[in-house]
Parts: sequence; C-alpha cells; structure tokens
Amino acid sequence: MDGTGRLCQALAVRLHKGADTERLRARLESRGGGARLWVEDFDEAADGPRATARRERELSRPADPRSGPGLRAVLLRYADGTSDLIVVAHQAVLPEPYVLVRQLLGEHPPAADGLPGADAPGGQPPQARTADRAERLRAALAELDRLPAPDWGLGTEGAATVGRHRFTVPAGGPAPAQLTLRAALGLVLARCTGQSQVVVGAEAGTAVAFSADGAQSVTAYLEQVAGARPADDGPLVGLLTTRTADVITGDGVKAEPFAARPFLDPPHALSLHIADDGSTVLEGRCAYRHAAFGDAAVEWFTGMLATAHRALLTADPATPVGELPLFDEEQRAALARLGGLGRRPAVPGERIEETVGRRAATTPDAPAVCFGEIRLTYRELDGRAARFAARLRELGVAPGDRVGVCLDRSADLVVTLLAVLKAGAAYVPMDPAYPAERLAYTTEDAGLSLVVTEAGGVPERDGLRLVSPAALDRPVALPQPAPAGLSADDAAYVIYTSGSTGRPKGVVVPHRNVAALLAATEEDFRLGGRDVWTLFHSSAFDFSVWEIWGCLMTGGRLVVVPYWASRDPAQFAALLESEQVTVVSQTPSAFAQLMAADRERRVAGAVRLVVFGGEPLDTRPLRFWLDQHPERECRLVNMFGITETTVHVTAQTVTRREALAASRSVGRPLPGWHLYVLDPDGRPLPPGVAGEIHVGGAGVAGHYLNRPELTAQRFLPDPHAPGPMYRSGDRGRLLPDGRLEHLGRLDNQIKLRGFRIELDEIRSRLLEAPGVTAAAVVLRQGQDGDSAGARLDAYVVLGTDAAHLPHGADGSEDRTEDGTARVRQHAARFLPEHMVPATVTALPALPLTPNGNVDTGRLPLPLTGGPAGAGRAGPEPEADDVESRLRTVWEKVFGFRVGLDDDFFSLGGNSLLGVRLLAALKAAGLPGFPLPQLYLHRTVRQLAPVLARQEVPA
Amino acid sequence: MTQLLGAPPLAGKAAVITGAARGIGRACALAYARAGADLMLTDIARDLPGVPYPLGTAGQLAHTAQLCREAGADTAVVTTAEADVRDLDAVHAVVAAALDRFGRIDVVINNAGIAAPSGKTVHDITPDEWELMLDVDVSGAWRMIRAVGAALTRQRGGSVINVSSTAGLVGYRHFAGYVTAKHALVGLTKSAALDLAPFGVRVNALCPGSVRDDEAAEGVMLSEIARSLDVPVAEHEETFVAAQPMNRLIEPEDVAGAAVWLGSDASRQVTGSTVTVDGGFTSR
Repeated sequence: MDGTGRLCQALAVRLHKGADTERLRARLESRGGGARLWVEDFDEAADGPRATARRERELSRPADPRSGPGLRAVLLRYADGTSDLIVVAHQAVLPEPYVLVRQLLGEHPPAADGLPGADAPGGQPPQARTADRAERLRAALAELDRLPAPDWGLGTEGAATVGRHRFTVPAGGPAPAQLTLRAALGLVLARCTGQSQVVVGAEAGTAVAFSADGAQSVTAYLEQVAGARPADDGPLVGLLTTRTADVITGDGVKAEPFAARPFLDPPHALSLHIADDGSTVLEGRCAYRHAAFGDAAVEWFTGMLATAHRALLTADPATPVGELPLFDEEQRAALARLGGLGRRPAVPGERIEETVGRRAATTPDAPAVCFGEIRLTYRELDGRAARFAARLRELGVAPGDRVGVCLDRSADLVVTLLAVLKAGAAYVPMDPAYPAERLAYTTEDAGLSLVVTEAGGVPERDGLRLVSPAALDRPVALPQPAPAGLSADDAAYVIYTSGSTGRPKGVVVPHRNVAALLAATEEDFRLGGRDVWTLFHSSAFDFSVWEIWGCLMTGGRLVVVPYWASRDPAQFAALLESEQVTVVSQTPSAFAQLMAADRERRVAGAVRLVVFGGEPLDTRPLRFWLDQHPERECRLVNMFGITETTVHVTAQTVTRREALAASRSVGRPLPGWHLYVLDPDGRPLPPGVAGEIHVGGAGVAGHYLNRPELTAQRFLPDPHAPGPMYRSGDRGRLLPDGRLEHLGRLDNQIKLRGFRIELDEIRSRLLEAPGVTAAAVVLRQGQDGDSAGARLDAYVVLGTDAAHLPHGADGSEDRTEDGTARVRQHAARFLPEHMVPATVTALPALPLTPNGNVDTGRLPLPLTGGPAGAGRAGPEPEADDVESRLRTVWEKVFGFRVGLDDDFFSLGGNSLLGVRLLAALKAAGLPGFPLPQLYLHRTVRQLAPVLARQEVPA
Repeated sequence: MTQLLGAPPLAGKAAVITGAARGIGRACALAYARAGADLMLTDIARDLPGVPYPLGTAGQLAHTAQLCREAGADTAVVTTAEADVRDLDAVHAVVAAALDRFGRIDVVINNAGIAAPSGKTVHDITPDEWELMLDVDVSGAWRMIRAVGAALTRQRGGSVINVSSTAGLVGYRHFAGYVTAKHALVGLTKSAALDLAPFGVRVNALCPGSVRDDEAAEGVMLSEIARSLDVPVAEHEETFVAAQPMNRLIEPEDVAGAAVWLGSDASRQVTGSTVTVDGGFTSR
C-alpha cells in the first residue's frame, strides 16, 4: 500500500450557486504552491450513479507532496447546474481542507502566502518544512505499522490489501459525540483485548490512553475519557470523529460541505471515521489492513461499537460500565446461532441397552465383540448380558443404583457394562491400573455397594461387595421380572474426572445424552454394520463410551484391544490390520505413535475413520498419515469434547489443507450441541476473541454426583435455551464461520515472573521446529517453591526427520544435542524471551497416562537449566562413590536427570544406548560390564554393585 | 490481490499512454478506458522535421480522449497533454500532471515511436536520420521511465509497457535504424525490469507484428512502411499477409488486449518479458 493516502484528507463541498470556475481557479493559483484546478463536466445530474461513483473516486485519490503540490482541487460540474468542489490535501501541506475551501469560495480569498508555515519567520523555505512534516508523519505511520497484529483481529498474515466497511452508530446524547464515541470504543477494545487499559488513536502520531475498568460508573468513565492522557504506546485502532462544517455563504455563493474524509487509507491497523452531522444516527466508515483485521471481525467490532454507544447514552449514569451491553438482542442471538444453537436433530428417547437390543433382534448373528479368540455375536452378547443382569438383580441391584466396574479391557467388560444398564443401574467404571487410594475414593464417593472386578482389583471395605464376572455368569435361582419404569433420562454411567484442582468428581450422564451423540454423528460418519471399531481406551476414560456404544448402537463389531497392544504401537497397528478395523479413536499422543508404526509398515489399510479426542491435536504431522491414507479413503475427524458434555462437543474434518495451515479449529458443534465463548465475567465475546468455552445442548450432563456446590459453579443456566450450560475451563474462540478454535486449558495459562504465559502456545511453537514430532512444556518452581527460580522445561521427541538434518559426524548423541539446541533456537526465534524454555530435553517418547494424555508428572528432570529447582531430594551424595558416578554417566547418556531406581529401559534405553553407556563408562574411568547384565540390573542402584565388584579386583 | 468478481481489470488504476492520438496508442487508450482506468493521453501532436509522413495531431488526440470518455467506465477520468518524448522536461511535466490529477500512476505505455525515415540500405542512412530514430524510439521510452520511476518505486507497484515490434526480435531489410531502436527497447525493458523488480514494478515489451492500417484508429504504419519501401500499399499488405502464419494482419485491438493484460494484476508475475502479438510471424 502506498502510504500517501493514509496521510491525506478529503473534503467535498456542494456548490448550490456561485460555482465560478475562473474565480476558483484564480484564487487557487494566487495561493501559490502549484496546485491547479481540475474541471470535469458531466452530462448527468449530481445524484446520478456516474456522478456519485466519480465523487467517491475523487475522494479517494491521494496527493503526494513528494511528486506535486500535495493538494488537489477538482470541480465536478453536473447537468443540473450544481457543482461539487472536492479538495484532497496531504496533512503536511494542509491540515484543514475546510479552511482552504472557505478561502476559495468565501469573501476572503487566500493571501499569496497561503502556504502553511510561509508566515513563519526566517529559516527553511516552505517546501522544506512541508517535506519535514511529511517525513515526521511517515515515521509515525511506520511506528504504527510495527505493532503486531492482534490475535483477535483475525487478520491474514502477509495480506497487503485494505478492507472497508460502513456502519451506523446511534447518537444524540448531551455529551459531544466525539467523547462518547471514544468512550464506547474503549469499552469494545477492553472486551476484545481483555485489558482494562486501552489506547485509542486519532491522527497519525496522536493517541490517548485511559482505563475502561468495568467498575466505574458511566459518569466517572466519561470524565476519565475526557481527561485521558496522551499515550506512549501505539494504538491498534484509531477513531476520528468529524463534525459537519458550516455552510459557506456570501458573495453570491452558497456552498455546503457534505463529505469529509480524515483519511483515504487507514493510518492504523483499523481506522474508524464517524461523521457527526448532529443527527441521531451517525454514518461511520472504517478501513483496515487485512494483515491485522478480517472483514467479519471488523463487522462484529463496529456492531459492538454501535451497541456500546447506545448503552452509554441511555444507561443510568450511575451504572458500572462493565454492565453495559456490547451486544444487542439481535447480535446475541446471532452469536448463539454462530455457536450452533438451533440445530436439534430428533433424538430417539431410547436407552442404550434398548438400542443394542434392537440390533440383537435385527442382526442376531452379526459379530458384536471380539477379544482375542473370543467372538460374541449380537445374540450372544445380548444373552450373556441378560444373564449377568439377572444375576446382578439377584444380588440386589435395583433401578437407579450405581454399580462399580473395575475390569481390564476384555469381552466381559463390555458384557458387564451392558448388563449393568440392563439391570436399570448406572455403571461407574474404574481403571484397575489406578492406585488403590483412587479406587477406594471412587467406591466411597459414588456410594457403591457392588463392584464387578477380578480378585484383588479393588480394596475391600465394609458394605462393599466385590463380584467377579465369572460369578455373574451363572443361572439365577429365582428369575426376576425385568425392571420396569426405566427411562432414557436415567443415568447410564458416572465417570470420575480429576480437574487440576480438588478431588475427582463423578459426572452423571443419562442415556439420552449418548443417544443424542449417536444421532449427531451416525449419519455424518456413516456408522453402520460394516464398521469395525476398537475399544482402545480404559473404560474410566469417557472416550470408551464413544468407542463401545458408538459401535454397538450402530451394529458394528467391537474389537477389544488387549492392554499390551494398547501400549505397543506396532502391535496395535498389526491388530488394526488383522481385524480389518475401520473406525479408530485415538488421543493425538497415541496416534502419533501409531502413525510412526504405520509409516514404517503400512498396516492400517482398512481404517476409514480416525476420531481424535482427549487432548489438543496438532494437525501438521497428520500430513504423513495423509500421504499413505488419502482423504477419500480415510477421514480424520478432530473432536473437542468434555466428559461433562458426553464425550464430544465439536467435530472438524482434518484435510491436508487443514494440516498444512496448522489449523487449530476443532470444528462446529455437533447438531444438538451449542457453545458460547464468554469472558471471565460471563459476558459474551465476539468471534476472534478468546474466552472460556461454555457448552449447552443435548450433551450436557445434569450434575456432579453428590456435589451440589460444584454443580452450581460449573452448570449454569443457559441464557438462550432450556437446560444447563457447562462452564468448561477450556480456552477457545469462535471463528466467523462458526467453527471453534480450542486454545487449551484456562489453567494452562501460567504466570512466570509476572508474565501471563500460555503453555500450549509454547508447545505449538516447539512442534513447528524441524524434526519435532511431540512436545510438552512444564513450569517448574524453584527450590521450596521459590518463584524466582521458576523456569520452563520443554520435552521433545525428535522424529526420524531429524536424522536427515546436518549433524555432527560422530553419532547420535551429538545429533540429539544438536536437535535440542535447534529446537531451542527455533523457540527463541518465535517466542518472547520469557516464553523460551530454559531447557529442552529430548525423550524417545513422552510418558502417557492410562487415558493417553501426556503424563507431565512422569517427565524426567532436565540435566541442565541452572540451579535445579525441583532437583534431587535431599543433599547430593558424595560424588566419588560408584553409584553417583554411574548415575552421572547415565544422565549424560540420556540427557536428563535420572533417579537411582529408574529402569534403564523404561527411560527409553535400548541396546544401542547400552553400547553408548559402556563407552561413556569407559570415558569416565569406570569399569565396563557384559551388556546382558543390563537386562538383569536395570537401575543405577542395582548396577552400581556390579560395577563395584569389577572395580575392586582391578 | 484477487480482482473483485466482475470488476473491470483496470478499475481504479491510472495509466499514461504516449503516442495516443491514433493507431495502437488509440486502441490501447480505448481498451484501457473500457477496462476502467483513468487516463493521461499524450502525443507529440505535430509533425517532425525529418519524418517523411504526418504524425498525430491535436485533433486526433482530442478525438481519442473523447472516444475514451464515451467508452469509459463511469468513474474514469481522461486527460490529455501534448508532449514530445525527446524533451525530458516535457515528459516530466506529463508525469507530474498525471500524479497531480490521479494521485498515482499504475501503468505507463511507451507507445510513441516513428517508423521512418527508413527504406535505406544501412550504410546510406544519414547521421541525422539515425539519431532521430534512436532519440524517439528508444530514448523516448527511457525518458518516461526516468520521469516516472520515483513515483512507481514509492508506490511499490506499477507496470511499464514498452511497445517494441517484431523488429525488436528479428531484422528487416532496409530498416536498420528502426530495427536497432526496437531491439534496444527490448534490452531497455529487460534491464529496467531487473532494476525495478525489488519495488514490485514490472517492465515488459510488447512486440506487435505488422498492424493493419485501421480507419477507426487512423493508423498509417503499414502505408508508411510500404511507402518507405516504395511499393504500393496493397501489394505490400499482400506480401505481408502471405508471410503471416495466421494468414491475417494484426489489428490494433489485438495489441491493446495484450496491453490490458500486461497492465492488470493478472500478469503480476510477468516482468522483463517480450510479449509477441504477431500472428506467429517470428515463430518461423
């Protein structure tokens, strides 16, 4: 963009009479400066379409003092006898075009010294002073251009175009519009930036700052804005309010200024101009650089400005400004629609086991569940579950009860879950891998009196009955009537989730929600009898709800993945092949490993649908998958979801295009679900602005089990629909097309030395670094929680790509060091200093929780990074004993801190690393040992005596 | 930058066209007006001593402007100025006036040129004839580039179109001066393209083949060339048509179409190139 138009103003004046061309020309020329009058005749009236178009064009032509007078006067003469005089002037030449127009038309012609500054005594000639002024103005613009584009502006990086938009603003208050408009703009900016301190620009080089804190009254706020101090920071948004100039009369002239443009192109990233002609609806125009602002974001922005202005003018002056609405009813409804409100597919009021039962009736011989050699048809599944259910009832389970299920993945797990539902109860799944305390807590909190588990799976307690699946597989003594009065509104399951704070809480989810989930996805995903699903996840993780019931309610075959196969990507990939699995649900972390296995040997050939859930998805690495599994063969769907909203909320099909663009979109809400993005005070935010995601609709669970207070905090009344909305604690923003960008957990926002930092943002940058296939970042406090010693530690998995990068000639150790150094350099190039991780540690794989998320608690301490804040517990042992010397060597080989009891192979060790360990021991002056010994003595503590024995005789 | 759907390709752009009184210049001006451009049209508008045929007139220039106003888009402005491209000050004045009126210049078409004095064996050309030819056909274009360069680089965009000829690509008997000048214009194009590319400014050469004399455009080239060669126009045209692979002579509109493309954003990656509009003549 040529910057000249950003420093030019234009004014149009309608000459009703007295358009004496020769007098105008003479007066303009007598002023000096070289400006000439251009005259154009039209065979059309002033309000004709061509004349109107021409006026707009003349009002948009810049005048550059570097190549001419920096001032242009055009007289457009129309067929109806009227004329328009249009003056365009560069600010350095003429700051007030109206003054010149009055001189040209009025009773006082301009003096020959009409050039600005010509009357200043001595010194520079006028042209040189104009050039100086222009240079200063250009420097001010350059300053504005250096401001980074705001995230919430939804601009297009690198775009060179300018967008324009017209809007109206209600007006008519007693205070000057210039003041109230500025105040309204402050409120909108505060909402969009999330900061109460705002900066508003005017002409290039001038800006004011004030506080738009919500607690102040309207009166106090307006006073404060009126006395706003000049700002040091550059403003992103500029507001220029012009007042309609007076009609010029006299000397046979009647001339009426009708269009004033304080800029032709936007001086700011977003420049607003509002013409105050004293009417109750003011015309606004804005122009914005597409690099910083998108069209839709600006439309929302100006809409908010209009609503805020109306609210400021009409509210009780004592109202705190934080309570003024920035969206009117229509805008709020539009926001809600954008968030998916209003799409409610018909949901059958059927319970889960009824739907599965229907499948058993229609396709009794279709395979339902496979686990190793065990194959159950739908008839067998249903029959076996009915047997289990009868036995459960005999054991006293009644409708409305909760029954614990603590089983590893197996065919009987699925049968048991279905049996609990058939008995009219809700299942409470527990993972046998969880610590005993956690299991005890769950049985206690859920008030369980019966848990189906294998021997020793769950701690015993009084009043708690533990039953094995085998014990359920027995004919009942006295057949009991099937439970009556069951409804789809009954609870189907209670899944415990642990938030970042507080005790785990039980989320109670009714049957109807699961039916709604299937109603929302069945058709779109074309789920049906030909599909083969995996049950990969622990039943305690609600992703399994999707896997189990998504499959069995649509007639598919469920392949139960044995524990060992869920831990070993190569085995899992092989299982996908041997079972010809078509639908796979994975967390991104787990999928990254599967993808690596599949890359080495393409095995997942039948997979036609991959559903991601459980954690944020980085779409970029998916290109490798798409290379082998084109979109037409395998659909990748990223789903954002929460246990409290029944597994999923949104769905985004990830195409190569999404992957290339590193899209963070999680898509639109499923039909029946809707969402709102709200600020910390629960007020709505426009598309582009990040806030807390709130979810309403068919998937929202009713409550937490026995936690009325927490329920009241998290399940709030839905402002636009019946039922509750769930306050998720997740950060996100809507895009103008209604898709959601998920931006991580709100509590992933940490503070480090006063900076508010988004850990996910750092993680995302790390993932961009060449060769990085997975990444995690943690904040580590200093010793004893000393915040001064706090630092960010990053962990990366360097993929095979890293091997292709140039590296030291002598082996993979240097490669790893080079790799992490490069990752850190990359981070330093793109992140502000306070966000650059203090350490970057390469790991063979990130440790995962049973749910497949990164287990940050199991990330090792880095080797370097200054005073190890949360370093080894207790004083460092003497450095000369074999144990600590051995540990030092291990740490050198691995590149991170190692505990005395850490297992060599669990840390990522392998035979190659073992060979390097031997070499490193030799270099450190320690004795070697036969490599197989490492398999017998896998920890430092175990290996040290082996070395000590070899050292003594030596 | 994508064009708005349906917007004319040069809407909002301002162009300077030299030699606009008639012929290819007039055809370009008309095509540009239809494509939505603001126009500054210039011509020498008088005869030159040493050129054996009449050049464009002030009346013809005014007529071109009038045709453009009638054909032009609703918002386009058409202004004219008389200027001799041999006169650097005059060329500067044209550029200043265009910038003053339009605020910017997006396209310059260096179309002014002469075809004669020609028709002589190379060693028979007089020094004055030689210098006149180069002064108008090469240096004229360079003067315009010199005058407009600062504005174009400041704008970080623009397109300069040098109207060369097939005589800029191949030789013609008895036209050594013309052929030399038109070849030089291709060289100027390539070098200027390299100099201005960092500023987003494009420079291309447009090489028309023999253009039919056209009543509407009042073109006279072919007859002047025939006269230089001392052959009847009809015979000359017949000979030329026979040499055209497309079996017809070029019309001024054919050249103007290429000029619109070169001036529009549709050709945004085209610079330093020679665009030939010759019905395949130089492909033989």
